[in-house]
Amino acid sequence: MNRYWFELKEGVLFSLKAIRVNKIRAMLTTLGIIIGICSVSLMSTAIKGMDKAFQEGISALGSDNIYVSKWPWFDDHEWWRIRRRPNITVQDFDKFQSLAKKPIAMAPTIISMCKLQYNDSYIESALITGTTAEYVKTTNFEFASGCFMTGIETDGARNVAVIGHDVSENLFKFVNPINQEIEMNGVKFKIVGVLKKMGSNLLGGFNPDNQVYIPLGSAYRYFVHRFRSIDIVVRAANTAMVKETAEEAEEVMRRVRSLKYNEENNFAVNQQEGLTSRFDKVVMVIKIVGFFITGLSLLVGAIGIMNIMFVSVKERTKEIGIRKAIGAKRRTILTQFLSEAALICLMGGLIGLGLAVLASIALDKVLPTSIQVDTILIAIFISLITGVVSGFIPAYSAAKMDPVDALRYE
Amino acid sequence: MKIGETIQVAFGSLRANRLRSALTVLGIVIGIFSIISVSTVIAMLQRSIEDGVSDLSKNTFQVQKWPAIHTGRISEKIWNRQDITIDHFNQLRARLPEAKYMAAQMWRGGQKVKSEWVSTNPNISIGGITPEAVPTSAWEIGEGRNINQNDLDYATKVCLLGDELAQKLFKSINPIGQEVRVAGMRLKVVGVFAPRGQLFGESRDNFMAVPLTTFQNEYGKYRRSIDIVIMSHGKQDYNDTIEATIGALRAIRRVPANEDNDFEIVSNESLISQLNSMTQGIKVGSVVVALIALLAAGVGIMNIMLVSVTERTREIGIRKALGAKRRTILLQFLIEAITLCQFGGIIGIIFGVLTGNLVGMQLNAPPIFPMDWIIAGIMMCVFVGVIFGTGPAYKAARLDPIEALRYE
Repeated sequence: MNRYWFELKEGVLFSLKAIRVNKIRAMLTTLGIIIGICSVSLMSTAIKGMDKAFQEGISALGSDNIYVSKWPWFDDHEWWRIRRRPNITVQDFDKFQSLAKKPIAMAPTIISMCKLQYNDSYIESALITGTTAEYVKTTNFEFASGCFMTGIETDGARNVAVIGHDVSENLFKFVNPINQEIEMNGVKFKIVGVLKKMGSNLLGGFNPDNQVYIPLGSAYRYFVHRFRSIDIVVRAANTAMVKETAEEAEEVMRRVRSLKYNEENNFAVNQQEGLTSRFDKVVMVIKIVGFFITGLSLLVGAIGIMNIMFVSVKERTKEIGIRKAIGAKRRTILTQFLSEAALICLMGGLIGLGLAVLASIALDKVLPTSIQVDTILIAIFISLITGVVSGFIPAYSAAKMDPVDALRYE
Repeated sequence: MKIGETIQVAFGSLRANRLRSALTVLGIVIGIFSIISVSTVIAMLQRSIEDGVSDLSKNTFQVQKWPAIHTGRISEKIWNRQDITIDHFNQLRARLPEAKYMAAQMWRGGQKVKSEWVSTNPNISIGGITPEAVPTSAWEIGEGRNINQNDLDYATKVCLLGDELAQKLFKSINPIGQEVRVAGMRLKVVGVFAPRGQLFGESRDNFMAVPLTTFQNEYGKYRRSIDIVIMSHGKQDYNDTIEATIGALRAIRRVPANEDNDFEIVSNESLISQLNSMTQGIKVGSVVVALIALLAAGVGIMNIMLVSVTERTREIGIRKALGAKRRTILLQFLIEAITLCQFGGIIGIIFGVLTGNLVGMQLNAPPIFPMDWIIAGIMMCVFVGVIFGTGPAYKAARLDPIEALRYE
């Protein structure tokens, strides 16, 4: 064991010397690896950031939620049949609420758009959600100030509103929004709560940051046609209960609708799984394309290493011959050249990582990225492996040289 | 020393170090491959978008009330525009000799069409058209006849069917002369359009057309705007025709001189340029990422050229001692670098175009041979060779012959 250790140490020392002798060459080789590792780790950071933003956005809305709606989320084939389904009404929701036992919270929601105005600042079209006080229990909302609407306010359809972070930023630059009145399509609403920033633009219409929440009754009175279908948001007690709760929701809704055993559902039970799997598919494509293209640049770096190691072996043929003649084993020579390749790669990997960290700090403004420890470890590991793999053939060709031929080499 | 000889020397040294040259070339191959394959896929997608962006035929543009692509909320100014009416269309037609064909049309989707035997799903589009819509929309009449001015004037109950719709409704029977029912209308089929095939997996033959007046009698005439489609005589007077149309229509609709147009002109070019600006980011991003590999390959070239110069120090010394000029040595190594790059570049381009087309075919895009990117690829190779070869070549050229000869 001691012998191996000694050989490894000596190999590393030899290669450090070799690197020092050919500074420019080592630097250029390292540069190839730097470019490769930097682009690969940046790509993985960007993808992770996207994932994270999506997960955070989902969890703000409540990750164990089920949505009972007229329209299925991802299956709009034969829309002309779904169009004929009866709308889900507030009465449906009331019955549903009295029958469903498993959910820990449920709320009706209805969505519309309107123009928001506060003094001179306005938002041309903001998403508004009409709902009840219980809605906040289906989400993981955190409040920057104020609180959600109370039961009294929602039941009485008062003109109160809770606004998302981006809405508050856009309308209220210097004023505390609480108790201010905004005009929504000309109707005055008092603000009772402001949400913290918690959503994600990746979620489109599901981003609470640019939403306004108002009582369901007020939404019906001012913004929504009476014959629009509502969505019922149902929260399961925990992730394990989601499936059961969804099944119960289906049964309960069938009872609400008084469907016979041989009739099809005339509503849809949507789960976030569908949303997540859609997103995963998109991320998968980006991953494959991204890693393929950035992986190519790492491959180019590896080829550069291999090339330079061949040159290095050829240049030092005589040295190899002498070492072999005085008793160096194949293994020793192999170790020497392998450690040279691995060292170059490791250096390149570390510098590449450093650059990637700097770049990700700049990138953080667009995506919530941060280089994770596992990314760092994997990048270091990959750079070592690259060195060993690309250095192996040159090192092997050095190791199996015939000492006589090597000494005679001019 | 002549250029030809320089090239020969360069090739000789590349051949002498086969393995090394091959590995260096491989780096360039991969770099160029990544750029060309990515840009081929993008070019294919873009072309299939451009082909499908509109059904308008060549030299055609459309006048409509609403902007073709808009983001966010439509402003009140657009909401308050006056509708384009048949009256406007007729006046415009009288005033515009520049137009080769001019048609008016209105569309309504989600219609259910019934024949005596079959009824379709409610997903058929129905168009109210004037006779010249057939050339302006690049339709062709497969069987029967087009609608004519008489049909238009008397709002006759006749219709033209898209190929797929005709098949669905009448199977093996000749549809001409048969009756179909849509909404409250009973219509006699007078013609069937020639099949147009699919686009993005969507059929383009699943529609029907009736005279515009018949359409308006059924679906309502007021508070609805028609679209006017105009085809110019040729490419050269296309822009003139647009200008003339804007002028005439402003006069017809009595738009004051200081106000903007209260209608939109939509042409294929304007649609494509809007789409292009949307996809610009993706394009630039992916090409930049692909460039990174080429950069890494360039660094590899520089490294190998440096090695090559060091190895051949004595050779350089001898050549200089025999009277070779700096320029000659510089050129020799530069040409060596460029040859390496060019060789890799050509292989990379071949593989890149092949791979890009294979990927594109999976996405149902027509194959493409992106000439501009191929030329760009070759230029990039020369560029990389010069950029990364100049350093080592300069180093070689600057060597002192005495020192170089003494080099061990």
